[in-house]
Amino acid sequence: MQVGNSISMIITGHCLGGSVASLFTLCLLKSINQPGTKRPLCITFGAPLIGDKGLQQAISQNLMWNSDFLHVAASQDLVPRFFISPYNPNAMEIDSQIGIYKPFGIFLLCSKYGCSSLEDPEAVSEVLVAMDLEIARNKPPNEQWHMFDYGAVVKRLMSTISFKGISQLSEMIECPRQAGIVLQLQAIGLNRRQQSGDSNPLIAKLEKCEEAFVSKRKMGFDPSKKLNKRKEDMAKLEWYKKVSKSEDKGYYDSYKNRGSKKDLHVVTFKKSLTNYWKEMVAEVERMPQKEEASFRTRWLYGGTNYRRMVEPLDIADYYKENGKKDYKANGRSEHYIKLEKWLEEAGKPLSSQVITRKQNVSASLTEDSCFWAHVEEALIQCELLRNGQEEESTRKKLIEFEEYVMEQIKEYAVSPEIFLGGSSFMQWWKDYEQIVGTSYKSQLTDFMKSRLYQQYH
Amino acid sequence: MSEPFSVLDKRIRFTRLILFYLRKGREEARSGCIVGGLTLERALSLTWIKVKVESTIGKYPKRSFTSLHNNFQERVQNLKQETFYLLYDLKIKRAIIINQAKLLNREIFSTSTITVVETMASERLGEVISMKEEVIKNACSIAMKAHKLPEKQLYLVEKNRGSSDVIFSFPGSWTISDWFSRSPFGEKMIDPHPPQFASLRSIGNDQVATVNEAFLTRFQAILPQLQSEVVKAVADRKQIVFTGHSSAGPIAVLMTVWFLENWENFIKSDPSTSRMPPICVTFGSPLVGDFIINHALRRESWSHYFIHFVMRYDIVPRVLLAPLSSLEPELKTILDFLNPKCTIHIQEPTREASALYVTVMRNASSVASHAACHLMGNTNKLSDTLLSFIELSPYRPFGTYVFCTGDRELVVMKNPDAVLQILFYSSQLSSEVEGPEIALRSVKDHFNYQSELQNLETKGVAHFDNLEGLPLSSNVGAAGLGLVLNNLGLSTRARLCLCAAGELEKQKRRNQDKINKKKTDIEKGLLALEGYKTRCEAGRVSYYDALKLSKDTDDFNANVRRLELAGIFDEIMEMLKRYELPDEFEGHREWINIGTRYRRIVEPLDIANYYRHLKNEDTGPYMKRGRPKRYRYTQRWLEYALKISAGSSGESCFWARIEDLCLRTINMGLFEDVKEEILSLEKQVEKWVQNRELGDDIFFEDSTFVKWWKKLPQQHRSGSCISKFINN
Repeated sequence: MQVGNSISMIITGHCLGGSVASLFTLCLLKSINQPGTKRPLCITFGAPLIGDKGLQQAISQNLMWNSDFLHVAASQDLVPRFFISPYNPNAMEIDSQIGIYKPFGIFLLCSKYGCSSLEDPEAVSEVLVAMDLEIARNKPPNEQWHMFDYGAVVKRLMSTISFKGISQLSEMIECPRQAGIVLQLQAIGLNRRQQSGDSNPLIAKLEKCEEAFVSKRKMGFDPSKKLNKRKEDMAKLEWYKKVSKSEDKGYYDSYKNRGSKKDLHVVTFKKSLTNYWKEMVAEVERMPQKEEASFRTRWLYGGTNYRRMVEPLDIADYYKENGKKDYKANGRSEHYIKLEKWLEEAGKPLSSQVITRKQNVSASLTEDSCFWAHVEEALIQCELLRNGQEEESTRKKLIEFEEYVMEQIKEYAVSPEIFLGGSSFMQWWKDYEQIVGTSYKSQLTDFMKSRLYQQYH
Repeated sequence: MSEPFSVLDKRIRFTRLILFYLRKGREEARSGCIVGGLTLERALSLTWIKVKVESTIGKYPKRSFTSLHNNFQERVQNLKQETFYLLYDLKIKRAIIINQAKLLNREIFSTSTITVVETMASERLGEVISMKEEVIKNACSIAMKAHKLPEKQLYLVEKNRGSSDVIFSFPGSWTISDWFSRSPFGEKMIDPHPPQFASLRSIGNDQVATVNEAFLTRFQAILPQLQSEVVKAVADRKQIVFTGHSSAGPIAVLMTVWFLENWENFIKSDPSTSRMPPICVTFGSPLVGDFIINHALRRESWSHYFIHFVMRYDIVPRVLLAPLSSLEPELKTILDFLNPKCTIHIQEPTREASALYVTVMRNASSVASHAACHLMGNTNKLSDTLLSFIELSPYRPFGTYVFCTGDRELVVMKNPDAVLQILFYSSQLSSEVEGPEIALRSVKDHFNYQSELQNLETKGVAHFDNLEGLPLSSNVGAAGLGLVLNNLGLSTRARLCLCAAGELEKQKRRNQDKINKKKTDIEKGLLALEGYKTRCEAGRVSYYDALKLSKDTDDFNANVRRLELAGIFDEIMEMLKRYELPDEFEGHREWINIGTRYRRIVEPLDIANYYRHLKNEDTGPYMKRGRPKRYRYTQRWLEYALKISAGSSGESCFWARIEDLCLRTINMGLFEDVKEEILSLEKQVEKWVQNRELGDDIFFEDSTFVKWWKKLPQQHRSGSCISKFINN
């Protein structure tokens, strides 16, 4: 499907055609990718419900999607209520009174008194059911189906705009929210007073719905709100890195050994940072493609920085437990994988020029955030070799590791911190040097033996 | 004050008193007068008065309550009592609240005195809008007279020998092209580098106002002729009044803005000139521009100089809410009908009036509903999605509106969001039958201002300062404010919108309070960073370079401080961007100063951090891509306040420009390419250092700047205007 980005599209349908229009729009939303594309609008008239709670949630999670659907339903029309009607046994889950079908999108409910629009799907369900009961009370149950004329409904809506209509409130109501709900119900003919003089139970229900809806919106994750707090955490981590460096072991090993109080502090920043970015990645995932793409580029820099800074700490935690192996396959958190994937998709940044990287390598972070996992694996291989196990494949893995490290060094993609005296990498080198003996020669061993790494910064 | 109630320990007498007031209250509530003693319930349902609490129970400090309603509710919650009496002494205009339960124990636990600041009928319009009724009436008749001016005369000046007023008025115009210069709404953005209307913008957001092009053009045609007359009137120490009826209203408005912008110059050139602010009164004026106008006028505290009178049904103030294409033929006929100079007799245009009325109402409804969505904090994007299908009018009201109900009341409204809603809702019909009659009235009322305002002094004035607690129900027996709202034709739905407008205004004030509370944190952060700067200077290092290297704990702490401050300022900027702070915010001198101090001390650190992390490599140069809003906005604040050109206060970005030049001049062969830029920067640096806007720590021997500068060609350096600062 090709969607030009300058075309404003309206998808519409009546009755079953409306359901098809909804499905078609869903299809279309998936394919809208380019930024700047105008959003389509789906307007259905008297369409039956099409999906269950799963569909409802999938659409409600995304504000933009939910508001792309406008369902017009007349109170006299049976069709939109058919799959939610308490009188319809097929619409109920087996052995319970809970309906299977759930509404989504925005509903414009119309009656001869006026119209009101509802957004919260819970409230829409309540009102549709209430409408059904109300109509059933006044009509014989075996009413014949007939095509409802929505042309007349729209015409009436247009002509009554300049009328005050029924939007009068005779009772004394203090609370604006309640007053609003009463008005809405009046407009669709549901503000029937109970015989006993009690207030309509539907009002209380809707009030509750609205309260929940509003508070849900308020609780929504706003990434920019806490960004500065997280930047503070990053600055603190950066400082930790610096202090660790002055102790000649690099922040990875500092954290791994956790010898001092400051290492324990790091645990707290790390936790808040990880929570923030996990939530952020999840939020981005929930967005439809177009928003997701622009969102990603905005936050990618921070996310990459975070990944390079914090993932080594996770690796340290992982390998601290004895016998754990293969972090990349078993221990890596999903959000790191996503962040890395987005970076790749965004294309190479300008900094890929080796010259500028060389100039600044001492200040930057190791590009491959899984570097330390490779080191840990190599350490394990060395251990195996010393114990005389699995000669062939183990050696092969170690040579692969050598090549990998050399590659990184040539590209200036690793931080010089790995060459600090107390680092795990140097530990590995010591082990490895012993294992391979003096006669073995490779690019990396040359590099290490000739102490060229001292000039790597 | 306690004197009238010194007898209160005599219980019977007191009860009688209460009964008296209760009765009196009921009677007077109907006539819109203030109520006497009532139970809480009755008081809440019947009355609406504005009170000022003079002395209060317990911990309440002396402060002004905007409504008794809130006052009552707070008290009830606080004291857990069910019934209170509000006693109002009509003679001295004071009321007393008494806790009944305590009273029955024969001891008055506490009483509090309330001075009634505002009651409905006791006030006159002149007092509410601080303007003499005589001036309003004069202005109205002169505005009408101006319509009859001969073709070539573009304005009318009216000086009364006895009075100190000089009234300028303008003739209306009755051709469509003088209302809509083009489709759909005939608006035009004000020139962003203007000789005129520099104030009509949102400063931080750098968004200029949009005004109706046709009105602007006409204003520009009239101004050169009028200018000298205005200057003369000012020199004569006269009260300047600009007025206009119908399409002359916007001319009066633009003239007033022009006057206000140049007022300072008038005073400067002749210190003896009048310092009396101008007045702008319009009658049935169409809207002038978009919401920025209101934003800007409020920020400058000019908003209250503008008074707009609008008849409940007058179509003209609403007409620009509809696009030209929807109403062109009808509007043409109606304008011909309205034109006082039109010599041909035209029959009452019943059909056109109806069509025009329906079109305008339909479009007004869209605009009002869209605005209401925003007022109610609706997060629903449907109304935004719809905007790609329907174009909505950008025009919004500003200033003080006085709505004439056509009955005995005037409704004064200052909240522009509420005014927009009233513009739509007040001319809604109650039944279909009314249609043709109201439509015709919507045209004819346009010429009824003079008669409506004839007995201005006798009219009741309802002044809506507090919108959140409006009586929502519109039942027939309403009294007091409820009655006025009924007479203005506001349905419950309309009232809900007004409540929401009030709530939004209150929320903006709360946001500002929240931000004001952060001042101490900001102060602390700035002091810490200033200390950091001084410590660095003591070691002959610029704090910019120190942070860029980040060697010590001190540098790290400074970086954390920087981020803490960034958090506070980012929040403020985000609110400004979404217009969630009161419009006045960017006009507060104190905040401009805080912002400038913050920018000068902290921005170099942001730049240092930016280049330390090499963000320029993946994001681009700081100035182009990386500069945060918190500095762009605060710089604009200062430049606007000092009336200097945009970009001239860029001293805080000094380091970013150096870093950029450093990168571009790695190869000195390119010197000629950047020579111009370096020369202009040097000139600016000289000025900034001399004005102490930029610290001389930039000239330390090892600073990034000096190191770079010394690499420039000798020939250039010896002739440079800043060589005197640098130790060669």
